[in-house]
Formats: sequence, C-alpha cells, structure tokens
Amino acid sequence: MHASDLQVSLPLVDRTTNAVEGARLIARDRLAALVVADASGAPKAVVSSADVLGLLVPSYVLDDMSLAGVLDEAGAEEVWAQAAEHTIGELLDDDGVNVREILRIDADATLVEVAALMVDAHAQIAVVNGTNAMPKFVTLPAVMDAILLACGDGKASA
Amino acid sequence: MTIQIVLALAVFVGAYILIATEKVSRIAVALVGAALMVIIGATDDHGIFFSEDSGIDWNVIFLLLGMMIIVGILQQSGVFEFLAIWAAKRAKGRPFVIMVMLVVITAVLSAFLDNVTTVLLIAPVTLLICDRLGTPPVPFLIAEVMASNIGGTSTLIGDPPNIIIASRGGLTFNDFVVNLAPIVAILLVVFVGLCWLLFRKQLRYDATRAARIMALNEREAIRDVPLLVKSLAVLALVLAGFVLHSVIHLEPAIVALLGAGLLILLTRLENRKVFADVEWETLVFFAGLFIMVGSLVNLGIIEMVGKAAVEAVGDNYFGAATGLLVGSAVFSGIVDNIPYVATLAPLTNDLVQAGGAHAQPLWWALALGADLGGNATAIGASANVVVLGIAKRNGHPISFWEFTKYGLIVTAVTIALCVPYLWLRYFA
Repeated sequence: MHASDLQVSLPLVDRTTNAVEGARLIARDRLAALVVADASGAPKAVVSSADVLGLLVPSYVLDDMSLAGVLDEAGAEEVWAQAAEHTIGELLDDDGVNVREILRIDADATLVEVAALMVDAHAQIAVVNGTNAMPKFVTLPAVMDAILLACGDGKASA
Repeated sequence: MTIQIVLALAVFVGAYILIATEKVSRIAVALVGAALMVIIGATDDHGIFFSEDSGIDWNVIFLLLGMMIIVGILQQSGVFEFLAIWAAKRAKGRPFVIMVMLVVITAVLSAFLDNVTTVLLIAPVTLLICDRLGTPPVPFLIAEVMASNIGGTSTLIGDPPNIIIASRGGLTFNDFVVNLAPIVAILLVVFVGLCWLLFRKQLRYDATRAARIMALNEREAIRDVPLLVKSLAVLALVLAGFVLHSVIHLEPAIVALLGAGLLILLTRLENRKVFADVEWETLVFFAGLFIMVGSLVNLGIIEMVGKAAVEAVGDNYFGAATGLLVGSAVFSGIVDNIPYVATLAPLTNDLVQAGGAHAQPLWWALALGADLGGNATAIGASANVVVLGIAKRNGHPISFWEFTKYGLIVTAVTIALCVPYLWLRYFA
C-alpha cells in the first residue's frame, strides 16, 4: 500500500478564516487538525484542532485556568458569541502555539515510510507531493486503518 | 588605571548597554559578561562561589528560589482569583470602586509576592471582570501594575531590588516594613486619587452589565481547598520567620527554603507543579550580574567610586538621599532596576559605612527610587512588560507611550512625595 492509496481531499483554511468556521469544519469532518493554505492557495501549515479550540476560549481563561468555572451559563454563551472575532492567523502569529509546517510525502511512499515520517514529524496530516493543483492529503486515522488492516485486525474501519 | 580595569569596565558597560537595549537575551549577556570577567582575571572560582563581598549572593538567589516555589504552589489554589471576584461583587459592579479594590488587593499581594507573579494572577481575572462589565480593561491593567510596583516597595520580599538591598545592607524584613511601609501606605492613597483623575472618564457603569458581575461564582475559582489551607499556613509561617529574625536568627533565604521544603512535603505535588513557576532564567541572570559587579569590587573600582562619592557627599546626607532617590527613579525607568541596584548596592554600602547611622536612609532612598521608578515607562519594570503582553494577547494592546504618559505622572508624584518623607523621617 502506498500514500496514493490513502490520499483524500481535505478542506483548506487560510489566515482570515475565523475560529467559528474552523470549528465548523473540524466538527463536520471530525478532523484532528486543519490545513492552512498560503496566499497562493497551496498547503503550508497544520494547526491542531485543540489549538483552534483555544481560539474559541477567552485568552484570559487560558492564562488562568482558575477562571474557567466562575462564569454562569449565560456568561458562557456570551463568551462563545465572541469567538467569531478570532482568526486562524492569530494562531500562526502566536509564538506559544506550535504551528507545524505541513509534512510532504511522495505518492509512492510505502505505508511504513508514511508512518515513520508522520511519527518523526509528529504530524496528523501530510500532503502528497505532486498534487498541487488539487492537493491530496494522508491523515493519521487513514494510516492507522491501513496498518490495522495490514496486520489482520478486522475491526479496522476502512 | 591598568589594562585589566579598562577591560573590566568595558565588559561591564557593554553588558549594561546590551541589557538595557534588550537586543540580546539578558541571561546570555550576564553569563558572557561573567565569563569575560574570569578571562580578564577580574575574579576567580573562589571569588565567585565563596566570597561574601564579591561573589554570587546566595542569600538573594535562594530567597528568590524559596519564594518562587511557595508562591508557585499557592497560586494553584485559585485564592487570588477568588479575592478579586469577591471584591468586584462587593463593589456591586461599579467600575471605579472595583478599580480601587483591585488596586489595593494588588498592592497588598505585591508586598508578599514578587510583582510579576502578582500581575500574572490579577490581570486575567481583571480581563474577565472588564469583559463582564463591558468597560475597557486598559485603565485597570495600568493601575494594577503600578499598584504592584508601589506595593512591592514596602517589604524585603516585595521586589527583587529590595532583596539585593537587604542582603548587601544587612537589613531585616522588619527594617523594610518599619521604614518603607508607612510611605507606601501614603503613596497608595495618593495613587487611588491619581487613578480617579487619570482614568475616571474611561470607566463606564451599566446596571445591566453590573448584574453580570454578580452572576460570577467566585467559589469555583478555588480549585483545591486543602492545597489552599496548607499553602496559606506555610506562607504565614514563613512571614513569621521573617518578622522574628531577631529571635530565631535565621536568614530570610533559609526561612524561605525551609518553608518551600515544608510545603512540598505537605502537598506532595509532582515536581513539574512544584517548580512550574521557578524562573531559572532570572536566577541565572542574578548570578551573572553578581559575578560582574563582584569583579568591579575585586579590582577596587567600586571602592574608588565609593570614596569619590563619600567625598562629594560630605555630611549632606539629605542631599545624597534625594539625589539617590531621583537618580534611581530616572535610571530605573530606563533600564531594568535589578542590574542597577546590584551595581549601586556596594556603592551605597560604602557611603553608609562611612556615614554611620546618619547615612542609613540612603538604603531607603535607593529602594524607593529603584522600585517606584519602575512605573515611569512601559519597560521600567518586568511586571509592566508582562502586563503589556497579556493585554496585547487579549486584544487590548497598550502602546509604550500610552503607558508612559500615565507612568511619568505617577512616578513624578510618588517620588516627589518621598522627598519630604525622607526629610521628616530622618533628617528634620
């Protein structure tokens, strides 16, 4: 099995995508991360879903976790209403957020090669080289499924 | 003047400029500067590690370490957030009353915690309160960091320069409280008045919004009641140890380390949490600074400048105190007050040794000038820089000049009030 057998299309976001839209994509496709495109539309970086979640929560709560419980339900709803003010660009500019450059793998890379590269890069998503016009990606769950199938685990979802 | 002295002065001045301009990491500057002093032959391993006059001041390093551990554990309890929200609810959502309460809480906390820790604790809860109130948080944040710099002046452990001054001058916790706390209390009252003049037009009261403050549940901020009880008990013991120095004869550093050890034993927290708030970089920076200043002591440079200062001062100690107060305030507004005080402390010690009891107020002039001067500009104190960072991250950027226009007023007023205090208290 090769990377090209695992590749799928994923939604792309950019700096201006707001946090709510990012959250919507994550929830719809059950994504562990979002692929961020540069100005030309090419995949450039990956931000984890946890970091996107961090955009939805007020920074002062993340700065001081003791404050997480002090808001009542009405207060919490107001907090979520402010989430649309934040964009993916804030994550890219935040030194405290580990934004990873997207991992690139060859279409003919074997499953072991793909797995090893993703482990080495701590990557949840990799872009397949040579798919620039319509970028294709290999995701961590797809790799896991392929490995489970290869080792004869019938519970694999693929 | 020998080549060695010229080289040592070049290293020292160069390091100072690099620290002030912040072009290079201050830790790197302090360590490279210390290494160059060793290469020049201005100090050696014995001088660095074992000399009380020219080596690393272990009392300062370990007092800071002990307090960082205690405060780091205490702050995990959520008690400070509880206090702030409780105060805002007592103020019934009226912005200026909330500001006054937060200013007082910050100043009092800052007397017992270092200023950076205090603002790290108070700034997020302030942003929450202002968010609920729908009032701009910038006036609150500026007022709090200034209150922190003022409150920290009152005790030996409130501001790192005070720890250096205490160690170099052989001054106790009680000396600081007796000599500095009264003027700090006066300054705080005046500062509240300044807050009214400077910020009142920016504060908005909205009854509907005020109701949202009342809906906050401050009890939820307390995350670990047993941890809170143990931490407060140990902190009380440590403060008692500082106050009872003349009875128990334990240096503050030993008291703080014993307290930290006891707290670790009682709480049994994992190492990651125990040391989470220890600023190792700051401790290394202090060590490097002490080596550089100690090298100047070894080469007789400090003594030479000290003699010149003694001659220049004569017996006009009020003039010297005023000069030291104002000069320290100006200098501390421009550069980090820690290297400034590390350099000035041995010089001040020479003056105090020469003048005896009449010259003792010079220590208080140095502490007041260096600590209060930190309010003058946005980069005058580490706490200012930290608050500006928090404000920016939360979408409320404070520009250098926005801070500084208020800082210059507050510093001018507080320093001006210290002059008659020094005169009336020590020279009249």
